[in-house]
Amino acid sequence: METQIVGPMTSRERVLAALRLDPVDRTPVCNPTSVATVELMDLVDAPFPAANRKPELMARLAATGYTELGFDTIMPVFTIIQESSALGCKIQWEQKDNWPTVKMREPIWEDVDDIKVPPDFLTHQDTKCVLDAIKILKREYGDEVAIIGKTMGPWSLGYHCFGVEPFLLLSLDDPGKTKLALDRMKEATIDFGIAQIEAGADALTLPDHATGDLVSGDYYRRYLRDLHIEFVERIPIPLILHICGRTVDRMEFIAQTGMAAFHYDSKNKPAESMDVTRNRIALVGNINNPETLFSKQPEDVRQEVRSNLDAKVQLVGPECAIPLQTAIENLKAIPQAVLDWHREQVATN
Amino acid sequence: MGETLDLGRRIEIVPMDAHFHDITVALYRQLRNEGPTFVVHSYSRIDGSEGRIASIVNAMQILGGMELTPDGQLQFPCKESHELACRRVFLEACKFSSDEPVEPRPLNVLDKKSGLNIIITSSGTGAYNVGADGDAKSKERRISAIAGGLIKLGQMVDEKIDRVSFACTHPHDALVGLLLVRAPNVRAIMREQEMASSRGVLSAPSQQE
Repeated sequence: METQIVGPMTSRERVLAALRLDPVDRTPVCNPTSVATVELMDLVDAPFPAANRKPELMARLAATGYTELGFDTIMPVFTIIQESSALGCKIQWEQKDNWPTVKMREPIWEDVDDIKVPPDFLTHQDTKCVLDAIKILKREYGDEVAIIGKTMGPWSLGYHCFGVEPFLLLSLDDPGKTKLALDRMKEATIDFGIAQIEAGADALTLPDHATGDLVSGDYYRRYLRDLHIEFVERIPIPLILHICGRTVDRMEFIAQTGMAAFHYDSKNKPAESMDVTRNRIALVGNINNPETLFSKQPEDVRQEVRSNLDAKVQLVGPECAIPLQTAIENLKAIPQAVLDWHREQVATN
Repeated sequence: MGETLDLGRRIEIVPMDAHFHDITVALYRQLRNEGPTFVVHSYSRIDGSEGRIASIVNAMQILGGMELTPDGQLQFPCKESHELACRRVFLEACKFSSDEPVEPRPLNVLDKKSGLNIIITSSGTGAYNVGADGDAKSKERRISAIAGGLIKLGQMVDEKIDRVSFACTHPHDALVGLLLVRAPNVRAIMREQEMASSRGVLSAPSQQE
């Protein structure tokens, strides 16, 4: 990706150009996952859990990523459970200061034949909330900032609907059935993704939690690479794949999918990740959450931003959904560090 | 464009104030020529939020012996930071409802583990002796443990097994009284802090229960 060879861009233009690996005026600051905090919830009177279930609150809280923090994107889908709720999973909604979770000890499916996407999947409160929030954001900010939606991949849905252990055991014991299960669950991913495009999303995050701690690179190749290629073909919008953890061992396969970008974790170094992906896919990341953004100072945040920019990572942002108690000053340090780095580059050139 | 403020470095947060509509209240530290000052702030616009913040500030003055600067910020009379202790003062102040009377803690406490009455004596120059009324096998060990607790909670200096002090050499009786309540069981405080800081951190589905 080249910088400083094009004129000033809007945030939306900048993000979409970077996702196409086109030249940009400066590196965009992008959050494919949540940047909501408890203080921002207070500022706009949109606390969890209501902000995950009421579109006006969801949109209001999400917009603070742009209006308050200075990011180039707005991403309203804070949680990873909206679709699972619509599929019938039991949800622990929690309070303002914590994330809702799926009660995975009470799985809704035991066998592949149990998999059914309900007819009200896209009109269920928790999926419709996302669609309506995107419509609000598109209306209010659509010309200036990139609106990013989110649709969960089938591996993540498998964990939620079958339970983590049963789903992993199935993948070990019966690869055929596992592939069939993924194939059936993928329709939820596609339907929800397309509905968000129709609502006005400019790009979609696609988390599929084949995480480095539980799933190998070879597993990714066997079970998910071709599915992800299919998503690129069937969901006509830039897709940002999100997988947590150490993932360098599967970045080669990820780069083959045609996804626009990979949202990568701080367990992977920027330079080594760029070496593997070789500009076939944009990288987004990878400011560390639990240590740097949550516990350290703006200067530490700036250093991590700079190491991404020095490695020519295409879009900079937090590695994953930030902790809800993250300090606003640390989040504002990200776009400021990007601006400072680019100014320095101009000055030295 | 934005409405968030530059309040200094945020050093502590209560994400949900149980005494006022679950608003988030935070403590910020500012570095000034005349020494560090502290600001209690909430971004909530709920009616009565300002009054709630004022009551927390008031409680911090009583519980921590802090003073107000002319522009309404909190500061220790010695003009030193005592950051860790200040965070504890803030957390304890938030535990009081706005209509609850707040009084400074005395310089003695019943140690439930030993049954001893722990008594702190101030030298008037920032040093404090830890003693105990009563007999117990573990008397010396408990005095040492409680002195250790004060050191950890208040960033105090370890002078002797039963004597601790503030490096600023100023007395902080109210602050020591407050810390003394928690000093006999510092591990519980550490556990509480760990749990509080891990809340609100999203983990991957494979890490969730």
